[in-house]
Amino acid sequence: MDQNAFLRNLETICELKTGTLKGYERLSNIETWDSLAILGFIAMADKIYSATVKGEDVAGCKTVEDLAALLPNAP
Amino acid sequence: MNAHIRQIEYALPARVLGNEEIAAQFPDWSVGKISAKTGISERHIAAKDEYSSDLAFSACRKLFDTGTCAPADFDFLILCTQSPDYFLPSTACLLQSRLNLPQSCGAFDFNLGCSGYVYGLGVAKGLIETGQARNVLLVTAETYSKFLREDDKTVRTIFGDAATATWVAGREAPAGAPADLGPFVYGTDGSGADNLIVKRGGLRSGAFNAGPDAQAAAAPLLHMNGPEIFNFTLRVVPGCVKQLLERSGLSLEAVDFFVMHQANRYMLEHLRDKMGIPPSKFMVFMENTGNTVSSTIPIALHEALKSGLLKQGQVLLLVGFGVGCSWGGAVVRWQGL
Repeated sequence: MDQNAFLRNLETICELKTGTLKGYERLSNIETWDSLAILGFIAMADKIYSATVKGEDVAGCKTVEDLAALLPNAP
Repeated sequence: MNAHIRQIEYALPARVLGNEEIAAQFPDWSVGKISAKTGISERHIAAKDEYSSDLAFSACRKLFDTGTCAPADFDFLILCTQSPDYFLPSTACLLQSRLNLPQSCGAFDFNLGCSGYVYGLGVAKGLIETGQARNVLLVTAETYSKFLREDDKTVRTIFGDAATATWVAGREAPAGAPADLGPFVYGTDGSGADNLIVKRGGLRSGAFNAGPDAQAAAAPLLHMNGPEIFNFTLRVVPGCVKQLLERSGLSLEAVDFFVMHQANRYMLEHLRDKMGIPPSKFMVFMENTGNTVSSTIPIALHEALKSGLLKQGQVLLLVGFGVGCSWGGAVVRWQGL
């Protein structure tokens, strides 16, 4: 998986400026990581990675790294 | 005999819940964000003493007030609701009396949510094309707002109350003419039942006796697992559309309008993009009504007709999906009056 592309997509979902995310952030520190962002992540997984991720697995993630690990070919 | 939709009317409660009011209650969500993500600016909420039968009555009266049909014309009433006035009798029976429909009129409720309109059209077609009824009044009516917790922002931003009334009738069609309603595709995955559920008040909640599921008595009102409902939608809706196109022999290009259950803008846009449907062929109407469950598709159709978008002979593809989990799709050739 292209880590850089993943982070830029996640920034779009969380309405953050490009380059904000480095990959190790705690999701609880990202103000815009909310129920709508979880839907955004599921949509991204479906559209870009052709993957189905369970809502409870996304909700259980603590860090950006945890989110990346839900996607196929995670780094 | 071809069953077809002749006319659709709808009714909303007077009370409006705007994004400003929601944003004031949940300061971490702005008016702009709610609007941008859900595509909803306001929803209508039933008054304390206003129930599904009241909204259904208003929608049906609006239909009769157009002067094209009268209560005496109908010999069947089908009513879709998950928020009935009572456990029993059927809301359809209350409505038959209140509307002065003939006593020779069959009437029943069926319990489905967002897939309900398509199922209702399927049943109406069956009744008409087998000669069991001539004119069917298909009603959808929900007051989901009564199931919602005041502090549950994820559902309060989305759901609105409404009722619709659709006149389905038969017409003589030339031999070999395609159906005006159908083909239909139905589907069910009850393993997702817990993802959108109201336990409170049901018999299993122990509301009437010391039931087996004591915990459910204290359960929240409506519980929605939004992410799993979204996953369900992504899994079944594209397949449903594909099946409908195959069964009808139509190409995606031959369909004039796709009318999906208006769940929320975010979900719809993703589905549209996934299925490669151009925005110009994809009806979206929920900004001033919200997700009105089984009423979203008929409301979108009514508004499309009113705005001149919908014309006789056009081919529509409808898909309803949600609570159950249940889904249903149909090809509709619009005839109108």
